[in-house]
Amino acid sequence: MEQLIEELKKEIIEVLNLEEMTPADIDENAPLFGEGLGLDSIDALELIVLMEKNYGIKLQNAEQGKEIFKSVRVMAEYIQEHRTK
Amino acid sequence: MIKKIGDNICSPLGFTTEENWHNLCAGQSGLRCYETGFDLPEPFCAALIDDEVIEENFSQLSKNQSIRYTKIEKLSIISATDALQRAHIDASAADVIFIFSTTKGNVELLQDLDGYEKTRPYLWRTAELIAQHFGNPNPPIVVSNACISGCAAQITALRLLESGRYRYAVVIGADVLSKFVISGFQSFKALSPTQCQPFDAHRVGLNLGEAAATIVYAGEATSHASDFWISSGALCNDATHISAPSRTAEGLVNALQEATKNIDLQEVAFINAHGTATRYNDDMESVAVQRMGMTETPVNSLKGYFGHTLGAAGVLETIISAKELQEGKILPTRGFCTAGTVAPMLVATQPIPTDKSLFIKMISGFGGSNAVICGQISDNTIRPTENRQKTVENCRILTEISIDNRQVVVDGEVLLKNSNPNSNSWLSDIYKHIGMEYPKFFKMDRLCKAGSLAAELLMRKIGKSIEEVKRDWAVICCNSAGSLDDDRTYQQTIQDAGNYFPSPSVFVYTLANIVTGEIAIRHKIQGESSCYVAPKYDKDALTSIVAGVFENTSTNYVIGGWVDYDDGRCDVRMSIFTKEKINQKIL
Repeated sequence: MEQLIEELKKEIIEVLNLEEMTPADIDENAPLFGEGLGLDSIDALELIVLMEKNYGIKLQNAEQGKEIFKSVRVMAEYIQEHRTK
Repeated sequence: MIKKIGDNICSPLGFTTEENWHNLCAGQSGLRCYETGFDLPEPFCAALIDDEVIEENFSQLSKNQSIRYTKIEKLSIISATDALQRAHIDASAADVIFIFSTTKGNVELLQDLDGYEKTRPYLWRTAELIAQHFGNPNPPIVVSNACISGCAAQITALRLLESGRYRYAVVIGADVLSKFVISGFQSFKALSPTQCQPFDAHRVGLNLGEAAATIVYAGEATSHASDFWISSGALCNDATHISAPSRTAEGLVNALQEATKNIDLQEVAFINAHGTATRYNDDMESVAVQRMGMTETPVNSLKGYFGHTLGAAGVLETIISAKELQEGKILPTRGFCTAGTVAPMLVATQPIPTDKSLFIKMISGFGGSNAVICGQISDNTIRPTENRQKTVENCRILTEISIDNRQVVVDGEVLLKNSNPNSNSWLSDIYKHIGMEYPKFFKMDRLCKAGSLAAELLMRKIGKSIEEVKRDWAVICCNSAGSLDDDRTYQQTIQDAGNYFPSPSVFVYTLANIVTGEIAIRHKIQGESSCYVAPKYDKDALTSIVAGVFENTSTNYVIGGWVDYDDGRCDVRMSIFTKEKINQKIL
């Protein structure tokens, strides 16, 4: 799980163009949206693409993302359970 | 005021305005659900025009046989031909200007150029071919302002005709669908899998549609008879987000207030809303209607009949709204059953008779843009314009900047030279050099990065705080490539079927006007924002657009100019303009 969290942090930084950030700057237990990383609705959509592209998880509804993208840890747990690649 | 002297709509519901109107009154919709199409992996619901119908109509026109036209060009030519025949004007005369409104033009050629020349995906090229088809000698104006383009183009026509620069304007709005456009909206999770339900509690998204629509406008001084006038229009930016509508409807309310300032709102028969059936757009419109105190005024949306026809929408929906006033019948909102917007509004659910003579058309789009125009079927509703004092504005440049691949020059002084012109990091190098702190910069496409850097330096030069809300500022950009640099990046995410992952964060920048939105957000500019596309930098044309903004709005400052990024080549020539007044009595 810790390895997946680390991998996920790197992927998030890359796909969301969080330049000037390192994995260490992201607290895996902190909320991804709202305060903190300053992510917005487009970032949430891009995370949905990340889930499909890298882990084979297809979310039909953007609303589902609200639960899954609570924190990097919650996201990693969801991926661990549902990944197809 | 300007008057409509001819119009046409080409849509799945017909190839004349009358045919479309007849089908609307019968409750018909052009929307269909498709299991496959455009090589897309997912089904979609859209209003598509049958290629054979286009060919059949196009084959009946006399034309230059040596030119092979694309689908959007054929549709535009068919539409404009009919509208011009009704207007009885000579389109090859020098006092006629063609104004073309589109979002994506020939973008499907990025997938496969199909033997067309390399410049064919450029929006100005499509406009040029259409204007040349009619023998028009003037360079056409291309307005590419995302979903509001069609209304923005009519506002451009209003200004050009009222100022006397031209006597006639042929405003053509057109967009066709492609894998590019549909996949992008799918990546945004913005599409409804079934026919859309504007303003309804159960709405889940929009449907896209194909159309071309044309209005020929004449200036008031011409002798043509007319039955429809545009009296005013306004464009305002939300300055909050490049894709999400403002929760407080800030820009839309500002545009509504500006456009209706000479109008008695009690005289308004109805509001034709954008009504896309996305949750946030429809909520925003309901908030705007409530803030305007117009919750008792009927509101309708035409998206359940035509889908969202992008660059055609503002023109098409103006034509239908004019027809509604003329026929004294407000059309119902197809797909609406149960009220479900955040603020209350009177959504038309069945045909409503009216004897009023005014309507308001409102529309909003990506880039935080909002447009409102007021249309009327008599020329005496608003106060007369004769013998009023009109202030003609001259533009004065306060500060200017140029950024190309070699250097950044501010007011004639070199600020930074590019030590490695072959590197990809030039724009980031400038960002670091000037100590800009704006993490969002790294999410932008190269066009927006270039425009944002220039705006940052210009604002610093005149000591303007980024924190101050700027209601009397406008952002006006013009370029040649539109958003083609980012379009090509997006195309890579859908080109290969085995690696098909359409990127929403890339798609959002595939509109030429997003750069104006990014500048508006960063600098809290809530005035007008517009984007024009032209083949090359033309200082006089730019100055004339800026002067038009000063003449017609309460704008005191304009930031903008030429912002182009194409094929690795950066070309920014931006300024901050202010105005100098010359009082003239208009006879």
